[in-house]
Amino acid sequence: MQMKAKNTLITIFVILWAFLFHYESLRANYLSPFLHRPLPKFKFLFPPAGWIMFYRVDDSEVKAAVYGQKGEELELIDPHRIFNNHWLGYDNIRRNILISALDPYSAERFCRYLKRKFPEYDHFAVAEIIYPSVTKYRDKNILKLAYRC
Amino acid sequence: MLTGIKSIWNRLFLEERPSIGLSFFRLCVAFTVGAHVIPTLLQLQDNYLHTAFKEKNPSFFNWQTLVLVEKSPDWFVKVMAALFCVALGFFAAGLFSQFSCCLVVLGCYYFYALNSLHIGTLSYDILLVTLSLMCVTGYPGDFFSLDSLLKADPFIPHGIRPRDLLKNTLGEGNPSAYWKKRPFFIQRLLQMQLAFIYFYTGLGKITGDGNWLTGNPIWYLMNSPPQSVVKHFVFREFFAGNPALCYWIGVVIVLFELLMPALLFWRSTRFFAIFYGLFFHVVLLVTLHVPTIFFFLFPPMFFLFIEPEKIIAWIDKRRQRHVIAAREKIIYDGRCHFCIASIRRLEVLDLFGNLEPVDFQEIKDLSTLDPRLTYERCHSELQLLAKNGKIYGGFYAFRRLSLSLPLLWPFVPVLYFPGMQIIGSVVYSWVAKNRYLFHRKKSCINNSCFR
Repeated sequence: MQMKAKNTLITIFVILWAFLFHYESLRANYLSPFLHRPLPKFKFLFPPAGWIMFYRVDDSEVKAAVYGQKGEELELIDPHRIFNNHWLGYDNIRRNILISALDPYSAERFCRYLKRKFPEYDHFAVAEIIYPSVTKYRDKNILKLAYRC
Repeated sequence: MLTGIKSIWNRLFLEERPSIGLSFFRLCVAFTVGAHVIPTLLQLQDNYLHTAFKEKNPSFFNWQTLVLVEKSPDWFVKVMAALFCVALGFFAAGLFSQFSCCLVVLGCYYFYALNSLHIGTLSYDILLVTLSLMCVTGYPGDFFSLDSLLKADPFIPHGIRPRDLLKNTLGEGNPSAYWKKRPFFIQRLLQMQLAFIYFYTGLGKITGDGNWLTGNPIWYLMNSPPQSVVKHFVFREFFAGNPALCYWIGVVIVLFELLMPALLFWRSTRFFAIFYGLFFHVVLLVTLHVPTIFFFLFPPMFFLFIEPEKIIAWIDKRRQRHVIAAREKIIYDGRCHFCIASIRRLEVLDLFGNLEPVDFQEIKDLSTLDPRLTYERCHSELQLLAKNGKIYGGFYAFRRLSLSLPLLWPFVPVLYFPGMQIIGSVVYSWVAKNRYLFHRKKSCINNSCFR
């Protein structure tokens, strides 16, 4: 009897888990478009758009750069000094996490962070580096000021 | 038909099978969590305190949670960081495995909600799903764990001589923790998770916004600017100049991802799929700056596809080989419950059966074991008669054991640290002199058994 109850519990758990797993894997990109309405997301467990690792890589690329101004001099700040985490075997900066700073809604918070972290600079400039086509114009990029602080 | 479905379901999820694979996987998950999260805790001020630059993930959490977590005062963040590290240590060591796993998950969620900028990646979501499954039962703590050692010291019923108890558990048919059987559903769900994540990743690349058929992602990556996600490796320039080759490599990768569930679950192709999966992750490690999770979590997940019975058979074969060959003899006091409990724990640690416990109280002439052994010597401390003919006593015996037993290898640097022999010997002598105090036999409560 006890074994039967245990097996029933396991069966219910397995069915629920498998349903949730496949539902969340398909919800954003397949089920919602198919049903023409946004389906509810099960919070706290699965990624918002399913398992889409490296699903889209474009010919163009955008990066962020931060400059510190000391007097009249403008210096490029090494991004590894901005976010100084040493992971085992990989580099988060190379995964372009600095791009979060380009969001205009983050500007105020990022400026506050920069001023605390680098008191030696008077002002900062956050710029967007746009590579229009990495295959056609490999070394060409456009530098665009995002904001100053 | 219903009976057939029931039988398949039973075989897939309910059947009790050895949980040793899951126990090994626990170590890998603990290491992955540590390697991914702990570096961010070393920079609390930049990453989590009120001074940090934070990013939130409202599509993963609800707003109420994010607002609540954001209200955390700095002292609370520090407490959570300390609690997380302790819980992770417990989880890795397998102490209160299920409870410590729950605390680790709590910590992972807390720091993710506090700032998703550094730790939040798609692979981190996979790690959370994996951890959540690991918390459902205590099975991951069945072996390679302190829990398994604690469970190796059962209550010794009154009136039973300790050496008789040991006799029943040593030798043939020894019910060691390494072949403990559990319902297979957790391991099966983890297997399904890995296989279907591959499948859905492949599907995402060729449908919707995915551009692995309409574009040439690998070629774009090979040409990406300096300081990008691609590492500098030997053939990068070669690939950067060969778009057609890159395209077809991309197609092959997608094909394998789509076929992964079939390749992994079909017994004939399983070995190939595991090998391919490991190779794929080594290639990722060499060529891309992918998160730690890609090479510490996914490769061990492939090993979950190895039939646990095959692992047990392999261990048993090695144990049998050691039974035939001369083993290292560990000479203990069979009148001491504490010593027996310690030997039982060593027995759990002795996965490959390298040791042969010998109760010196049962041997009339100790010189038959080795002419250097005397009753006094054996009574004063534990003796280890090594295969090389040397005799190690007390602390030195334990230190030597740490080399022979793979599960004690993490302690080797500590035990061989300069000066440890002084501290270790003092601690060992004290424990040895008071060993009768450590057991549950009331008549020995005043150490009267020590002679």
